[in-house]
Amino acid sequence: MWARARPWLSLRNISHIRCQHTLRTYKEDSRWPGWEVVVGIEVHAQIKSRHKLFSNSLTSDLSSPSNTHVSPYDAAFPGTLPRLNPKCVELGVRTAIALNSNVQPRSAFDRKHYFYSDLPSGYQITQHYAPIATRGTLRLPSAGTEVRITQIQLEQDTGKSTFDARHHLSAIDLNRAGTGLMEIVSEPDMRSPEEAGEYVRMLQAVLRSVGSSDGNMEQGSLRCDVNVSVNKPGGPPGTRCEIKNINSVKFMMIAITCEVFRQIEVLQKGGSVVQETRGFNEDTASTYSLRSKEDAPDYRYMPDPNLPPLLLDEGYIARIREGMPELPDATKSRLLEQGLTARDADVLMSIDMGREVGYDGKLGLGAVAYFDTVSTGRNPKVVVNWITHELLGQLSLRHETFKDNSLSPEQLGELIDLVEENKLTGTAGKNLLRHMIANRSKEHPLQLAKNLSLLSQSGDIAALEEWCKAAIEGLPDEVKSYRNGNANVLNRLIGRVMKVSKGRANAKDTRALLQQLLQ
Amino acid sequence: MLVSAKIRCSFRPQNLYRRLESTHATGAVWRSRIAELNETLNALVHVAPEDGYSSSKLPLSNIHVAIKDNICTSTMPTTCSSAILQQFTSPFDATVVRLLRESGATIVGKANCDEFGMGSLNTYSAHGPVVNPCRSTDGESNVKRSAGGSSGGSAAAVAAGMCDVALGTDTGGSIRLPASYCGIPGLKPSYGLLSRWGVVSYADSLDCIGILGKDVSIIKTTFDILSQFDPKDPTSVPSAVRESAANDLYIDQNTSFDSDKPFAGLRVGIPHEYFPAELDHSILHPLKDVLGLLQKYGAALVPISLPSTPYALSAYYVISSAEASSNLARYDGIEYGLRVDLPPGADKRKTSDVYAYTRSQGFGPEVQRRILLGSYALSADAFDNYFLQAQRVRKLIRSDFDNAFRSPNALHSLSATPRTGNPNGVDFIIHPSAIRTAPPLPDETSSTSKSANSLDAYVQDILTVPASLAGLPAISIPAGFGDDGLPVGVSLVGQWGKDSSVLKVAEGIERILQVH
Repeated sequence: MWARARPWLSLRNISHIRCQHTLRTYKEDSRWPGWEVVVGIEVHAQIKSRHKLFSNSLTSDLSSPSNTHVSPYDAAFPGTLPRLNPKCVELGVRTAIALNSNVQPRSAFDRKHYFYSDLPSGYQITQHYAPIATRGTLRLPSAGTEVRITQIQLEQDTGKSTFDARHHLSAIDLNRAGTGLMEIVSEPDMRSPEEAGEYVRMLQAVLRSVGSSDGNMEQGSLRCDVNVSVNKPGGPPGTRCEIKNINSVKFMMIAITCEVFRQIEVLQKGGSVVQETRGFNEDTASTYSLRSKEDAPDYRYMPDPNLPPLLLDEGYIARIREGMPELPDATKSRLLEQGLTARDADVLMSIDMGREVGYDGKLGLGAVAYFDTVSTGRNPKVVVNWITHELLGQLSLRHETFKDNSLSPEQLGELIDLVEENKLTGTAGKNLLRHMIANRSKEHPLQLAKNLSLLSQSGDIAALEEWCKAAIEGLPDEVKSYRNGNANVLNRLIGRVMKVSKGRANAKDTRALLQQLLQ
Repeated sequence: MLVSAKIRCSFRPQNLYRRLESTHATGAVWRSRIAELNETLNALVHVAPEDGYSSSKLPLSNIHVAIKDNICTSTMPTTCSSAILQQFTSPFDATVVRLLRESGATIVGKANCDEFGMGSLNTYSAHGPVVNPCRSTDGESNVKRSAGGSSGGSAAAVAAGMCDVALGTDTGGSIRLPASYCGIPGLKPSYGLLSRWGVVSYADSLDCIGILGKDVSIIKTTFDILSQFDPKDPTSVPSAVRESAANDLYIDQNTSFDSDKPFAGLRVGIPHEYFPAELDHSILHPLKDVLGLLQKYGAALVPISLPSTPYALSAYYVISSAEASSNLARYDGIEYGLRVDLPPGADKRKTSDVYAYTRSQGFGPEVQRRILLGSYALSADAFDNYFLQAQRVRKLIRSDFDNAFRSPNALHSLSATPRTGNPNGVDFIIHPSAIRTAPPLPDETSSTSKSANSLDAYVQDILTVPASLAGLPAISIPAGFGDDGLPVGVSLVGQWGKDSSVLKVAEGIERILQVH
């Protein structure tokens, strides 16, 4: 009732009162025996939309020259007004659905005020009182647990300011100002640095799979603030500290570890942990105080008087739910059902992670989609072998990644068909693949195989006999050894035949003929 | 039309100013009026260069318009009468300015105003105060009078014949008050009808672009052109809602005022809360005249109560100041506008110093006062008691009006539980526009202290803020003169979206006042 009478008092404020530590049974950690570690994470993920959250300017990446993606609204010129980008809402809803959250039929935008040079309007528009989605979950398979998501809110990113120490000048770049962000707040449900790491990695995979963010920590499109506290198992919750400005999962895990040791040391010396915001120094692997709770600014939150409440009807949410891209869990079980080994599925999916995330929810063609296309009407196990062993093998020999792959799914499919139908030997098929990748060939594999005289010669006994005789003449020592009873050496002769035939010889026929000739 | 001009202050014999003989000032006339009067009146702060060509086929051809200086124009500065934007020219035209230009209007210049629209007397301006073209007849005719605020320049420019129409903005009365003081009609439309894209925000949830004109008819013509849905303004109301609201079951848009009882069937409410202790009694005679004529021509006068009215002024100042403190945070001298370099000795590394010097010099005293008041109202400790309390009062004010009107509020048709109108309700509410006639400019009289208590100035808005809080259309029309010979305005307030009906009836009142 209290919350209803004051809708601006959100669940968020209430959920900040941590009372749920005891949901999980305590497991001793040898690094800090006798202590329980509690971690909650606030993630800011940049929405991968073409345009900014409230203006028509294009979003930008780090390659755009400074201040080239700035409209009068982004620079907070007088007389400008915000206009909500529906694509950002759609991607926010996709994310909410992917995180099993309750998309709110009514959410609203608020202003959070503070003065800083990279915040031209003096306030950030966010969803403080009524977020777009609440109460979700994200499963961590390795940890075997589930992290509750408190809420997801849409908000504006700030610009960037960099200090030029030599000239005592602050440089301001507004390219990023006003880009859409999703703030994803977790409950304090993680119990180790490793679980925190898995949470962020799983979240990255989910965001990428639904196309809502590219989730790149190094490039700053995903940022984490981590809340850490320690307590005695069964005891009351500890006081938390928030660690800000962490730019990789690895450093986040190190930062949590350092912070845990720091807090334990404070407590063991009889002191108490002070609630504060701390930074992380990567060079010294330690955290340092940024500001205490008493210094926390009063953001003077105010409902934004320009933006009407965001009303999402059931039909809209249902349409997005129906058009949802496949989530990582579903992809994996589908691949396993198709007969792939867990290892092959993981390889495909980890390569898929590296794919380009398209703007406005357009899904890029990743390794899984590539596999799906090629394996349509073909044996999935054969296809995945060709992709993971031959295609990726060739690419990596060339120091290329899947993104550089020029071979279309149709080309690979045709090539696999030629081998499966014995028109090409396996060896010739591999050679053809190598040739096509090296030359970024757009030709049909069948035509190329003809041009390169790679088609199987299984019908042509005369040619095979000639290659076998040549091999026997060329390798007298091996012949002698074979005749002395060393059967394995026959493989070397077969290899020679393959080489001179450029792989056209059928291995089985060759073996039979050689055995016959050497009797 | 010509007859109506006679009752207007600027054309009274004792007036200093020449009689304007033509209905629409020609290009040459407005130029000479500006040249002759602007130095004294200080109504325009930027005069547009002569553009020479104007097409004669468009609806506003030969119409000369002044634009309040808090509305963005790409060809002229937009200073908001603030030192902080003294050198600022916007890169774009406000939507209303674009629509005026596209309709063939000639823009004569930018009109003086209170800084960022904050003020009721147009004395808080970096360009200096606006002087009302009207002078009293009670022996103090040498005393310069306030034109009212904050759209004082717009009102004075129209009253002095420098233009036919002026755009103003009205957040809590900033059009109706100066219109009343200067003896011209001034419309604050329903919130959400005229695009705010390009209007420099003072308090977004209250700011309305409005129109002041030499008569109601030109206001109506201009309103019809400017009232359009604009996707650039997130508070712009979609066309379907406008149409459903404008459809008035009780007011016939085709009524002829030549009939015996043109107001037959019209129910006009007189709210007893709108006659506060502060009201000057000489205001009442012109109001009574108007009421008598309404009755004579067929309207029913209905005493009504709008019980939340006494709380409106406080709620208004809390909400408008809170929004102002937020909207004015952007003026920091970094992207545009005034930038004050730090004095020697100041700590350059302190972010607050970088802002404080610019903002302290750039903002005038009233703006600073409201930013401080608003920041306090939004602070964690005060938010519940001030900002939220004010929002509750605002809701009560709205439902007061909805309970009083016969037509339902069309905005509620969007909500899950649409409300019906009150079958015994009224079509319009009528009340004095201001508690008095134009007061003397503060430094013009010995009896008024130079640093007039700002609360006295706030009281000026007591009658106009309820319609602003409720977002309702309200027009002030000249009703006659007070004992001092200065103009008195009465305000007509309608249900949301019934701007055309308000204008229709205002035109009728204007007409019957001409006859009598």
